[in-house]
Amino acid sequence: MSRVYPRALVGAFAAVGAALWFTPAYPHAVCGSRVFPATLAIDDPGVNDEFAPTLTYQPPNSGVQEFDAEFSWSKTIFPNVGIVISDGATWQHPGGYGWEPLDTELQWGNFCWPEHELMATVGFDVSWAGTGTGTQVQPFNLYTPVIDVGKGFGDLPTSLNWLRPAAVTFELSETFPGQASTDGNQNATNLNWGFSLQYSLPYYNANVAEIDNPFWKHIIPITEFTFSKPVYNFAPGTNVTTGTIQPGVVYLADTWQFAVEAIIPINGASGHGVGVVASVDLFLDDLLPDSLGKPLFNLGGK
Amino acid sequence: MHSRSLLRLGVSLAFALSADAVLAHALLQKAVPAVGGTVSSPSEIRIEFSEGVEPRFSGIALTSAGGAAQPVGKSAVETGDNKVLVTKIGKKLPPGVYTVNWHAVSVDTHHTQGSFSFTVQP
Repeated sequence: MSRVYPRALVGAFAAVGAALWFTPAYPHAVCGSRVFPATLAIDDPGVNDEFAPTLTYQPPNSGVQEFDAEFSWSKTIFPNVGIVISDGATWQHPGGYGWEPLDTELQWGNFCWPEHELMATVGFDVSWAGTGTGTQVQPFNLYTPVIDVGKGFGDLPTSLNWLRPAAVTFELSETFPGQASTDGNQNATNLNWGFSLQYSLPYYNANVAEIDNPFWKHIIPITEFTFSKPVYNFAPGTNVTTGTIQPGVVYLADTWQFAVEAIIPINGASGHGVGVVASVDLFLDDLLPDSLGKPLFNLGGK
Repeated sequence: MHSRSLLRLGVSLAFALSADAVLAHALLQKAVPAVGGTVSSPSEIRIEFSEGVEPRFSGIALTSAGGAAQPVGKSAVETGDNKVLVTKIGKKLPPGVYTVNWHAVSVDTHHTQGSFSFTVQP
């Protein structure tokens, strides 16, 4: 590590947990009447049992276009503690094939205040050195503490009924390289942040007014925003904020969801052209409640 | 090797998904009176959930627009269909807007809760 983890960030995590009068919730990111769907650019605020294959296409940037086929498997160890294992393949043209570094994230959360549809989860992510191949070789670990928070607006008065299906989720993280420099090049520490704006028609159907159409009552229009900026140990002139705006839609069923989003770079440093990402998310806690979908150790749970 | 592992995982998952019972959170699918609907004074509130619920840990409360609790009976699941929670209303409701507050524990112990309004017409 090039620097010690900031104690202030760890303290902030603890303060959030202590300050809010949370009660345990249950997978998968359900808090009160609110279902926070799995989002594609940032994480949802829950600890889950889910399996999500994802396909991404990025149009040519500096002459290189990219196609990714990835998966993410979320497994609960205890009801509110889980691990997320992510990996996948990348094809770049020109450039070739590479298997991405293995990524693991230990999560603790599902903290939920159901009356206010407020939910939070914290995690610690490691992208492991030596597990990537081809174009995706990574010679050092990356360490990322992360916090995810979701807030639904169902607690608004019924005079503002049309706003009650809305929700926002936030993510804040900082990525620390395990090596200060490689082959004479500085490895920067990056601050990452993002949020999503959601309008849940399933929530509208259940809490505001009945929707007769069997398709529309499963739809959640969504837009995600992600940003990243080098904040430490960056090469001169490279501390530029990059990011994407990702408008899309989620189809939320009882045991699975499908989501698709456009990927629009916010500036030239973030890319050129509009990409696309799509993912199917299988809710294993609902599909396989007695095997893969339950915590490995269920202390006093179901 | 990674690709083969992924394939094996996918095949195992496909078999497992086709073989097991499906359980989910108890989320409101439909209600009578309808969510946001306008009705004559109803005699009961019926909520159909996406999943069976435990009546001992599930319930329905009713309040008027001013927040006054309205008399309702003990909630029970419909005979032969534990996805439907029913509560009798103890009196004829005068015209106005009413709020239903429900909480449910599904048969696989997931907790959910929510609220909606309906209007009783003159």
